[in-house]
Amino acid sequence: MTPISFKGTREGIHISLGDQPWREIMDELGQQLVRPGAQSFFRGARVQLDTGARLLGVTELEELIALMAQHQMTLTSVIGEAETQDAFIKLRSALPAPPEILPAPPAEAEPPATDATALLIHRTIRSGQLIRHAGTIVVIGDVNPGAEVIAEKDILVWGKLRGVVHAGASGDASAMVGALYLAPTQLRIGSSIARAPDEKRAPVWSAEIARIRDGQIVVEPWNAA
Amino acid sequence: MAGRVITITSGKGGVGKTTATANIGVALARRGKRVACLDADIGLRNLDVVLGLENRIVYDLVDVVEGRARLRQALIKDKRLPDLCLLPAAQTRDKTAVKEAQMLKLVEDLKKDFDFILVDSPAGIEVGFKNAIAPADEVIIVTTPEVSAVRDADRIIGLVEAAEKPAPRLIINRLRPAMVKRGDMLDTKDVLEVLAVELIGIVPEDEGIITSTNKGQPAAFDDRSPAGGAFTRIGQRLLGEDVPFMVFDDSSGLFDRVSKFLKR
Ligand SMILES: Nc1ncnc2c1ncn2[C@@H]1O[C@H](COP(=O)(O)OP(=O)(O)OP(=O)(O)O)[C@@H](O)[C@H]1O
Ligand SMILES: [Mg+2]
Repeated sequence: MTPISFKGTREGIHISLGDQPWREIMDELGQQLVRPGAQSFFRGARVQLDTGARLLGVTELEELIALMAQHQMTLTSVIGEAETQDAFIKLRSALPAPPEILPAPPAEAEPPATDATALLIHRTIRSGQLIRHAGTIVVIGDVNPGAEVIAEKDILVWGKLRGVVHAGASGDASAMVGALYLAPTQLRIGSSIARAPDEKRAPVWSAEIARIRDGQIVVEPWNAA
Repeated sequence: MAGRVITITSGKGGVGKTTATANIGVALARRGKRVACLDADIGLRNLDVVLGLENRIVYDLVDVVEGRARLRQALIKDKRLPDLCLLPAAQTRDKTAVKEAQMLKLVEDLKKDFDFILVDSPAGIEVGFKNAIAPADEVIIVTTPEVSAVRDADRIIGLVEAAEKPAPRLIINRLRPAMVKRGDMLDTKDVLEVLAVELIGIVPEDEGIITSTNKGQPAAFDDRSPAGGAFTRIGQRLLGEDVPFMVFDDSSGLFDRVSKFLKR
């Protein structure tokens, strides 16, 4: 059995749930949060939750979010199975939006700093896996067919991108998608959608980026960017 | 020395897990290894049929787990190969009849007496799959060269990785070289490009599998059988032998020797 584990990252705290029974995980987490000295580590942190193969429903996620809220922690991203992701998305749309992802007031010149935090994923995202994050997502590895990556800012894939991606997921048309090998099943930026041409593309390795120009998604070689 | 536990699984059903388990079991036992094949597909048992041991079942896995039979009583020895044993699944129970901890305990007991424990997993991602994966030291994924099977294999590989097992290895089953040549079937390279795991064998489509399954005489008993030969080589690779990969050549009807470009 793998126990729950915590890792401090630049963006916040990475929590891997492990595979113990749900009650044990919640108990363990509850104890960890109130351990002497733990307060400064956890309080106010942004949390990336890695649920592994475990499937979490709305009730379990709610319980988790409530516990985190007692320590002023916010759940910003979930890495795991599609079912868990669905629950997370459902909850997110039901919850009042966390303040840091509210659109910046128009007068403000620079983009809100909290949005810019990137989630770095150093592995291949396989079929059935879904990654969702409130900032930019960088994948070192492939995004396979059947996998989905959804970011509120840019998506960069240092590998083959063949799954479904959505950059600027909360409506940011200035977001972009870049990959060493760009052949997504479907590519979305903001509210625009493009899909791969039906004929099979020859596997050429040349970095490309997709962005919106004049209201249309266009793909260009990286060096022209 | 404790035995190696190898779980054979897939995402899509019907791709050849049971066939692979039986044949790899035979291949290893023919090389003098003590092998226990464990049918973890509770409720849909058929490893016993493929091995031709159906009529000798008295007790099954659930009987052992629930204490109605001792492990030794339930294990069926193959008369053709004294080093090969089968622990059959229960036909009449459902997947939830066995708990993960019980499965771990059972396999722990088998490890003492066998060099290899081959676990035939049910397809999919449910309880049965989790039980089959839990005791595994190694995992072998079976896929056919079809887009949907590869997609499901990818999903399973993701789950195996999440369960913190060592990187699984891959069998591509039912490859039809003539179709690959015409461009109508994914070739080995296409499959490996997506899955990015180590290949442990390519098994051609072979009518002989159907007759051997019907007779309960796995193809790996027959050295001239194309699929049987492929499973024998998988057995050798499991034993650490460096066996070159073969590709089927249509014109000659023979296997051509190829360099090891397929290995990653
Ligand atoms: N290499 C092959 N050539 C021809 N037929 C094959 C080959 N491999 C498997 N088959 C046939 O495919 C069918 C399914 O095989 P098998 O029962 O081994 O699959 P499985 O993955 O165990 O299925 P399930 O998911 O239902 O447990 C069987 O009828 C078998 O005879
Ligand atoms: Mg089977």
